[in-house]
Amino acid sequence: MFAQLLFLLSAVLTVGCAIAVAVTKNIMHSCIFLLGSLIGIAGLYATLGADFVAVTQIMVYVGGIVILMLFAVMLTGGKDFVSRAQNLLGLAPSMGNKWTYGIGLFVGLVFLLTNIKLLSNIMKSYPAKTFGNEFPSTVSQIGHLLVKEHVLAFELSSVLLLGALVGAAIIARPRKQ
Amino acid sequence: MISLISYLIISLVLFIVGLVVMISRKNIVAILLGIELILNAAALNFVAYSRYVTNNLDGHIFSLFIIVVAAAEAAVGLAIVIRFFQIKETIHIDEATQLRN
Repeated sequence: MFAQLLFLLSAVLTVGCAIAVAVTKNIMHSCIFLLGSLIGIAGLYATLGADFVAVTQIMVYVGGIVILMLFAVMLTGGKDFVSRAQNLLGLAPSMGNKWTYGIGLFVGLVFLLTNIKLLSNIMKSYPAKTFGNEFPSTVSQIGHLLVKEHVLAFELSSVLLLGALVGAAIIARPRKQ
Repeated sequence: MISLISYLIISLVLFIVGLVVMISRKNIVAILLGIELILNAAALNFVAYSRYVTNNLDGHIFSLFIIVVAAAEAAVGLAIVIRFFQIKETIHIDEATQLRN
């Protein structure tokens, strides 16, 4: 039941955000929708019992690649990129003022308190054992596979990452003419 | 209810959407977004087959390597995009004609 619910949520998030990436005109919004789609794929990995791959997906994609793409979008805006951002009160775009910070703090507090209240009831009525241990942890097996059977690919990927790092630094370096 | 077919359908939709993004957008960063979607569709297929068909963890390993290669590709691709922007002041794909002739 829990796995089916997670599957449905992740599938809707993945497909919906992927279609939104294709439909949206604003490249910044496309990046944000890609983030939602990648989180949905991590949820699908979790329903498949691939816990290590799901966590790696979140860390590498959401923490690395999408942030890198957002920086690239912001660095390459050029003349076409016109910011029409405006906050709720119609004020000029900025990092925030006392109203936005106050509203954010209030909403965060309400959200935190309601979550604590709701989750404490749920945790009491459904102890963790009822979910069972359907998927065993895959981390130790993946570790053994990486240093035994697939050790060549593992080492080659380290060389690939080093090459990509040096190559990216050389390509993006500002040149004096 | 959840079977291999449902994962394959999601993967198919992701692949087609990624292909549409790659073909239809003119922004180079958007084309890189499409490539990421396609790579994710392939990785999802690997993990789904690994759970429902082969019952070992080789698909997980392959999916991890796909993530590594995608990270390297994104780093180099975005470096090229930034360099291209320094030269051309735009990232429209039709402006990339310096290697023609």
